[in-house]
Amino acid sequence: MKPLNCPARLVLALVITAFCGRIAQAETVKIAIVGPLTGAVAQYGDMVKAGALTAIERINAAGGADGNTFEAVLLDDACEPKQAVAVANKIVSEGIKFVIGHACSGSSIPAADIYENEGVVMITPSATAPQLTEAKPRQFIFRTIGRDDQQGPVAAKYIIEQVKPKKIAVLHDKQSYGQGMATSVKAALDAAKLPVVVFEGIHAGDSDYSAVITKLKSRGVDFVYFGGYHPEMGLLMRQAREQGVKALFMGPEGVGNKDITAIAGAASEGMLLTQPVDFSADPANVALLSAFAAQKRNPNGPFQMPAYAGVKVIADAIAGTGSTDPARVAAYMHSHTFKTPIGVVAYDDKGDLKSFKFVVYTWHQDASKTAIN
Amino acid sequence: MTMPFKNALAAALLTAILTTPLLGLQLQLDAYRVVLHAHWTPVIIAVVAVFVFQLIKPLLVRSIAHVRRPAWPTLRPQQQRYAVLALLVLALVWPFFGARGHVDIATLALIYIILGLGLNIVVGFAGLLDLGYVGFYAVGGYTYALLYQHFGLTFWQCLPLATVMSALFGLILGFPVLRLRGDYLAIVTLGFGEIIRLLLNNLSALTGGPDGISSIPKPTVLGIDMARHASVAGDTTFHALLDMTYQGGHMVIYLYLLALLLACLSYFVSSRLLRMPMGRAWEALRDDEIACRSLGLNPTRIKLSAFTLGAAFAGLAGCFFAARQGLVNPESFTFIESALILAIVVLGGMGSQLGVILAAILLTVLPELARSFAEYRMLLFGLVMVLMMIWRPQGLLPASRPHVVLPQ
Amino acid sequence: MGASLFAMNELLPELTQQLVNGLSLGAIYALIAIGYTMVYGIIGMINFAHGEIYMIASYVGLVTLSAIGVQAGYPLLLLLGATLIVAVVVTGLYGWTVERVAYRPLRGGPRLVPLISAIGMSIFLQNFVQIGQGSRDMPVPVLISGALEFQMGSDFTVTIAYSRMVIVGLTVLLMLALTLFIARSRMGRACRACAEDMGMTNLLGIDINRVISFTFVLGAMLAAVGGVLIALSIGKLNPYIGFIAGIKAFTAAVLGGIGSIPGAMLGGVLLGLVETLAAAYFPTQYKDVVSFVLLVLILLFRPTGLLGRADMEKV
Repeated sequence: MKPLNCPARLVLALVITAFCGRIAQAETVKIAIVGPLTGAVAQYGDMVKAGALTAIERINAAGGADGNTFEAVLLDDACEPKQAVAVANKIVSEGIKFVIGHACSGSSIPAADIYENEGVVMITPSATAPQLTEAKPRQFIFRTIGRDDQQGPVAAKYIIEQVKPKKIAVLHDKQSYGQGMATSVKAALDAAKLPVVVFEGIHAGDSDYSAVITKLKSRGVDFVYFGGYHPEMGLLMRQAREQGVKALFMGPEGVGNKDITAIAGAASEGMLLTQPVDFSADPANVALLSAFAAQKRNPNGPFQMPAYAGVKVIADAIAGTGSTDPARVAAYMHSHTFKTPIGVVAYDDKGDLKSFKFVVYTWHQDASKTAIN
Repeated sequence: MTMPFKNALAAALLTAILTTPLLGLQLQLDAYRVVLHAHWTPVIIAVVAVFVFQLIKPLLVRSIAHVRRPAWPTLRPQQQRYAVLALLVLALVWPFFGARGHVDIATLALIYIILGLGLNIVVGFAGLLDLGYVGFYAVGGYTYALLYQHFGLTFWQCLPLATVMSALFGLILGFPVLRLRGDYLAIVTLGFGEIIRLLLNNLSALTGGPDGISSIPKPTVLGIDMARHASVAGDTTFHALLDMTYQGGHMVIYLYLLALLLACLSYFVSSRLLRMPMGRAWEALRDDEIACRSLGLNPTRIKLSAFTLGAAFAGLAGCFFAARQGLVNPESFTFIESALILAIVVLGGMGSQLGVILAAILLTVLPELARSFAEYRMLLFGLVMVLMMIWRPQGLLPASRPHVVLPQ
Repeated sequence: MGASLFAMNELLPELTQQLVNGLSLGAIYALIAIGYTMVYGIIGMINFAHGEIYMIASYVGLVTLSAIGVQAGYPLLLLLGATLIVAVVVTGLYGWTVERVAYRPLRGGPRLVPLISAIGMSIFLQNFVQIGQGSRDMPVPVLISGALEFQMGSDFTVTIAYSRMVIVGLTVLLMLALTLFIARSRMGRACRACAEDMGMTNLLGIDINRVISFTFVLGAMLAAVGGVLIALSIGKLNPYIGFIAGIKAFTAAVLGGIGSIPGAMLGGVLLGLVETLAAAYFPTQYKDVVSFVLLVLILLFRPTGLLGRADMEKV
């Protein structure tokens, strides 16, 4: 991250808004972008930031939402619940009404309590724990990403019907997203009576997974489902190939990052993953990708497009209701559909995406993927 | 004059070598190949800054030696009491006029004051280096969460229970390890803190694993809910009772006042303890363990009492922390938290309660003020820790031993 | 009898592979642990920033490798040698600077003060690299590929990667060289004297500042070798690998007896083996718990570690 990036970007955004905003009724609507900007998982915060900032800039350049221009307010919660609560209170204190974030499930849940109570619209592009929307009925909390228990069954169905492996290992990274996905898949596999011989967690920060790979080798595992993100998946596949383990690997969308080919090389060929329908095939999104490239932002990763979509949904809802009142915007969001880079978005009454479609892809070592199913 | 010049040149060269591979040549991923991008500006800035600093350092040293630090005005005990009373009144009144975000930060600072005072007993009074203090903090938080989840107990019922539970853990964990001295004790406590966190993460069936336990309720006002709607249908809420419109900010103020109460309680208890024979025994132990033993005091029992009481404070803070957040998960209880609380105690001045309070406030408030430099926040935090130790290792307000001054 | 022999036949290949895994992991820990143990032995300070020094070495190695260019077709030995030399020199300078800036002004004071300074330095270095290089995981090109393979049991192939063999081999060589150096050379004698009694050594005219700086630099250089080789073997790095490696290596140093160099090697190997075997025969998520429990047990029953000397506390 270049040190001079963020202030320069904000200045640029403000200059563009000054040029393009309408004079009459033009309000500056602040959107808070909250995620880890520092700390071990900062790369995921960077993804959310990239997507949301690109969206805000493009929407402002196109005239804003119903004449209102967006102003991005970046806040760091380092994925810590204690900082998340402080940030949430600060957001309420400053009168910001729309939040893209928080990036992590552990931070989103306590912050959501505060936003719900105060009527602040929160759209998370990356928190996938079901508890966020299940635990209590909420009007103001939304997601632009599928839940763990929406994605897991798709993967399990494919494994059961298409792959039919003889011995399965389900691994996870002991974190909220990974363990949630792995548990969801395992439950479905158990229900179908497929043999899961290993169900264990690896430590996300470790570099050496030889011990668990040898364990897989000696149990004769031919299929591995890993709930987690691309760095660990890349290492697992690479080290598995080094030890001569010929198992097929599968993961959730967190592994679908082009960086995985850099880490795993030839071993990444043939990896399976579930992801929302690929947006980059759509010609309308070519302009989108070049907007990312123009600001030297990385568009690869699971959270850039959901963050972009979140901002777009807010913009469309503001334009649709003709007001920036969060209660009206939230009600509009619950009752309408939106066209976004991640597909058509519609919300159920819990704030989750209705019938979000996941597709199974197979990965290639040149970092491309093809859909199968 | 050539000596500082040569020094400056050497320092500048060193800076160039050190910053070039990490700041100057940036690794970037182009598709999936690694390439280097050169940014020489930060390197040049760093080199020039170091060069200039090394040149003017002798001048700075000489001029600082002449500057006299202003003496703190000493207050008579009567004035001290009034000052403390005035501060307390200010602390009670301020949240009603302050911004919500600031009140919340103040609540966080108060939690760290409680933690700091607790660790101060262990590290400052008794001289035991504890690097796993966060484990007891976690026990307090999870006790409230689990008791609520399984038995539906309220915050007020769980507060004493969490304190006792943490104290019990302190007793059990302290018993085998207190024979160890100095750094070995530090390492063992570090190990314990990590074991507790790893077990909380792995035992998903009991503790919820990495997701933790959520939906933990906020404290009630003497049994009456302060919420938009009562949790049990039919009950009144605090606002309905007082005929006020509900505002979310009131809960934030209520949490702050509770935290203030708990912090004052902690301060009161620990300062009383210091003046009791137990406290004297701690100080004796810290100064010289062998002399202590030769005078007939049992060091193991003294250490155990310090450890247990310190853990109790952590349990108190942990229970309140769980209530404030509504969620506990293992991410909140890492080694860095222990390091932060230790930094608070050392920065404040080991054994000095007022110093610990000041340091807790500074270390909580300053990162919030530096939010505009979000990316550099942690960098500055690390730098400040190093600089504080170099500049003033005895702490901000070093503890003063009770002493007598002979009249002239 | 036959059944148990059959079971042995089945278990042995996996055990062998796990032992190989454990040994190479242990060599990694040993290289980093030496830095901790040497510094503690001489000035009694736990250098929390040591893990970050290891991480910096990995980054410097990757930058050097990228600057030279892997595709250019240079011979392996040249690439490896150049990367190692640059990383070792730069990291050694980092070690020297950290000691000079953050620890030397604090010598002689209470024990906690340099500890806090070290923690602050660790946070500073981690964020410094994050700002300079980004928090994204960076892949490291493969220089040494391939493995030694042999069949064991019915159909189990034990694989020993060549990169891991290089790590183990180099670690053993460096340990031997270091032990000889400490035993035979003048500087080594000075180091031993400082570890024994700093004050007396100073009175005898040895420049203790030079000895202490030398210790930090040497520890950093060894960690640098580890950093480069491990980055090449594992294939990825990010600014946070130092923290975890640091805690593990520190545990290894304490296990073996902090202050003892052979102890660091033994502790490293022991920790590597225990961790790997725990992951192999218990659920993997408990392997870190097992490591820490081992640490606690050793400290309870033998506080000075396996090879450490018991300190005599004088009244």
